[in-house]
Amino acid sequence: MELFWTIWNHPIVSEYVVRRLPTIVIVLFVILTVAAYLVYAERKVSAFIQARLGPMRVGPYGLLQPLADALKLLSKEDIIPARAERSIFVIAPMISVVASLVVLAVIPFGPGRATITDVNIGVLFILAVSSVGVLGIILGGWASNSKYPLLGALRSSAQMVSYEVAIALALVGPLMFAKTLSMVGLIEAQMTDGVWYVLYQPVAFLIFLVGGLAETNRAPFDLPEAESEIVAGYHTEYSGFRWALYFVAEYTNIVISAAIAATVFLGGWHFPGLTRLAEPGTGLYALLAVLIFAVKVFAIVYCFIWFRWTFPRYRYDQLMSLGWKWLIPAALANILVTGAVLVLAQHLGLVETVRTEAGERLVSLWPWGKLFLIAASLLIGVPIVWILLAVINRRSADFNLRVQRQIRLPERGEEEIFAEV
Amino acid sequence: MHKPEIAITRERLLAAREMVLNMGPQHPSTHGVLRVILKLDGETVIDLDCDIGYLHRGVEKICENRTYVHIEPYFDRLDYVAAVSNDLCYVETVEKIAGIEVPEKAKYIRVILTELQRIASHLLWLGTHAMDIGAVTIFLYAFREREEILKIFENYFGARLTANAFRIGGLQYDIYDGFEEQVRAFCRILPERLKEYETILNENRIWLQRTVGIGILTAEEAKDLGVTGPVLRASGVKWDIRKAFPYEVYDQVEFEIPVGENGDTYDRYLVRMEEMRQSRLIILQCLDKLKKLHPGPVLGKVPKVIRPPVGEVYHSIESPKGELGIYLVSNGTAFPERLRIRPPSLINLQALKKMAIGHLVADVVALIGSIDIVLGEVDR
Amino acid sequence: MAEPRRTWKQVLSRFLLLDLIKGLLVTFKYQAPKHCYTEQYPLVRPKVAERFRGAPRLNLDPETGESLCIACNLCAIACPEDLITVVEAVREYVDHEGKTKKKRVLVDYTYDTSRCMFCGHCQDVCPTYAIELTQEFELAIYRRKDFVWSWEMLEKGIEQPIYTR
Ligand code: SF4
Ligand code: SF4
Repeated sequence: MELFWTIWNHPIVSEYVVRRLPTIVIVLFVILTVAAYLVYAERKVSAFIQARLGPMRVGPYGLLQPLADALKLLSKEDIIPARAERSIFVIAPMISVVASLVVLAVIPFGPGRATITDVNIGVLFILAVSSVGVLGIILGGWASNSKYPLLGALRSSAQMVSYEVAIALALVGPLMFAKTLSMVGLIEAQMTDGVWYVLYQPVAFLIFLVGGLAETNRAPFDLPEAESEIVAGYHTEYSGFRWALYFVAEYTNIVISAAIAATVFLGGWHFPGLTRLAEPGTGLYALLAVLIFAVKVFAIVYCFIWFRWTFPRYRYDQLMSLGWKWLIPAALANILVTGAVLVLAQHLGLVETVRTEAGERLVSLWPWGKLFLIAASLLIGVPIVWILLAVINRRSADFNLRVQRQIRLPERGEEEIFAEV
Repeated sequence: MHKPEIAITRERLLAAREMVLNMGPQHPSTHGVLRVILKLDGETVIDLDCDIGYLHRGVEKICENRTYVHIEPYFDRLDYVAAVSNDLCYVETVEKIAGIEVPEKAKYIRVILTELQRIASHLLWLGTHAMDIGAVTIFLYAFREREEILKIFENYFGARLTANAFRIGGLQYDIYDGFEEQVRAFCRILPERLKEYETILNENRIWLQRTVGIGILTAEEAKDLGVTGPVLRASGVKWDIRKAFPYEVYDQVEFEIPVGENGDTYDRYLVRMEEMRQSRLIILQCLDKLKKLHPGPVLGKVPKVIRPPVGEVYHSIESPKGELGIYLVSNGTAFPERLRIRPPSLINLQALKKMAIGHLVADVVALIGSIDIVLGEVDR
Repeated sequence: MAEPRRTWKQVLSRFLLLDLIKGLLVTFKYQAPKHCYTEQYPLVRPKVAERFRGAPRLNLDPETGESLCIACNLCAIACPEDLITVVEAVREYVDHEGKTKKKRVLVDYTYDTSRCMFCGHCQDVCPTYAIELTQEFELAIYRRKDFVWSWEMLEKGIEQPIYTR
């Protein structure tokens, strides 16, 4: 007992465990609930898009559906194929889930204690840990000892590896403004600057969105689990709760992707006029900030769902060419252009570097600095990236798609027919 | 049946770059119980074989033991998403061999219903084809429109799918009150709904990439393979039984036959979309003519027991899938001696191998969809 | 194939992702509740058409309450699936003039719904409109042998649980 309290009161333990514990528990609880309700939201939104109602039976408007689903999955028989690689088959979904849950540690849900921890290499941490998640998918697909999962696993490994590059490169642009890798630092940078980086970096934002869709295996990039081609992809042989783990991982990943996009490009919990509503540091402020952050995240998640239920699916080779021939060159060009513009702006004296306790930070001066950066990104960045892409892809089938010849025969007699109606 | 090489030694297994993948018979997008044996190099198809027969019910043999009237409902179960067209083919064949006259009014009603069925079948095709390529939402939109047609069928035939639509010599029922309004209402919404699908698909870059230039079937190849229907027309051959050997009243209505140029998946899509519009025009014209004939008989003079004279006859119609033909041999009794069905799906399916080799697995799915097969008809 | 060169408008619309945005707008529009097309089936029961061919029923004479069936066996002959069995007997009876007459009466009637394809041929040939395919469409039964409907079931119909909430 004595020992326990010594450990408990040890500064490291109290700093990194005791103080964080409530936040960790709350975040885990909230995120898992959110992931479950994301499935519900997905089903509802897709239903509305498709002129249906979606789940309606369990609870009012089907609100208890996630609970029923979870119970059903828990009580299902746990099937492991006889020829599967047992231990890996069991571990694989856990790897996926853990990798996606660990990332939550550095996501800035709100100011102060609403964020579990703020490491100064936050972005790097996210990129590193989330790529471990792929391992779960590859192992799961391989261990199933079946052909469809194997194809799914191969597809996903190739897809995630290539899109991770694009995502990482796209994040470099905003980092050049913030001069920090810390997630909280990124938000603070946007607060002090008073501008969301989506305005400075529209190209990077687009690349990140597309890459995020691909990273989370969402349509139109849902090749690893394309049900019309390879049945269910890597989790074809999974059932019951193991399958649910993959599902949780997938939806948590969606939340994380959206959260990163919201943090890096949309100013995190920052909203103009928020400081006027509530004093920073108070409970009300934290609450409002968390709310704002949630709204932003859900706006992006909604877009993800919306895209999924509108677009057809890419083919494997087309997906690769989109990643390597469009997104990665675009991201590289974006870095180059951003750098050039920043240097130019510094020469013209339109931005200045301020020192904070976290390090240096670029602040653009109102109005010319900001206007210059926004205009430069739109008028210089976008065209340059576009021209570069056009040059690279001028021979590819994708670029040369034109509006196809349409077969429309003259609708003779229609007017007369309708005149009688 | 194709046998994948199974004499595999360890060395060969290690050296092999090929993988044999069994797609189906239980697979989400083989449209029933088709089994496609794919030989893959990575994801590229290097050989492909279709294994059919999982839905074989021996309809042709059953027909030999049934009277001509009894056979009618069995034809609903061939191409079950276009039951009306199948029924039409059967009753016309018997009428042809037995020399039974059909009243003019019944002919118009038959044409209206078969064209509605063509639209319904194409809508179902559009939905499933788009879903195979990943656009799930189109599937539900198409089903919504198809539902309107099925409601008309339910009101008219008393069944939505297995219509048992027509009787030898005419029709069982006259049109019900409000039939014309209901059909016209459907014709009114159809163009704008088609327009919506086209906004989602026609110019969408993903859709274009997935369909343009995929599974090209040249006119020559298509003719050699005996392919019919929209698949043939997409290859640029202007061949439609409705124009070539007009049956019912198709020679009295005006319509065009859309033809494609490249014979790829995209052209097959375009041809079917335009066919729906043309069918709608046929329906509207027939409705106008029907109005003038309205109070009138729908069932001609039919003997109590149909005993066609000894002889044989081949009759074919343009079903939504292609040329549906029936070859009937009569021995003068109430039972047919032999009844052979030429299912368009079976013959169109043979083009799959030609189209798919060299493409990826994902394209095979799109191609199966674009041929528009129904396994009930393939296996009979 | 000589494809036409792209126009500036097409290039621009591709650049601005108009082809994708147009599709997105269509799906967005459909989210309005007024487009909803769902029938909440067990709660709201659809009204099927008058001509619908569903569960069979042997009709009774509304005045006397006797079966309309005259045991003519036509329906059994008309059925392609041969699933109707009509058992008849000849009964003697004395009519109001005091003569002894013979009459065919129905003794038993079974109908195997598991084999029926609801083609409607039986109801078409029935001279007295005795056998009729009704609008009832819920035919699920727990035991296989119950699919064979007896005379009594044909007159009363089967009882299906009605789900409400
Ligand atoms: S509906 Fe058809 S199959 Fe059923 S009993 Fe009547 S005639 Fe026979
Ligand atoms: S046809 Fe009608 S009257 Fe004759 S046996 Fe059948 S049900 Fe009875």
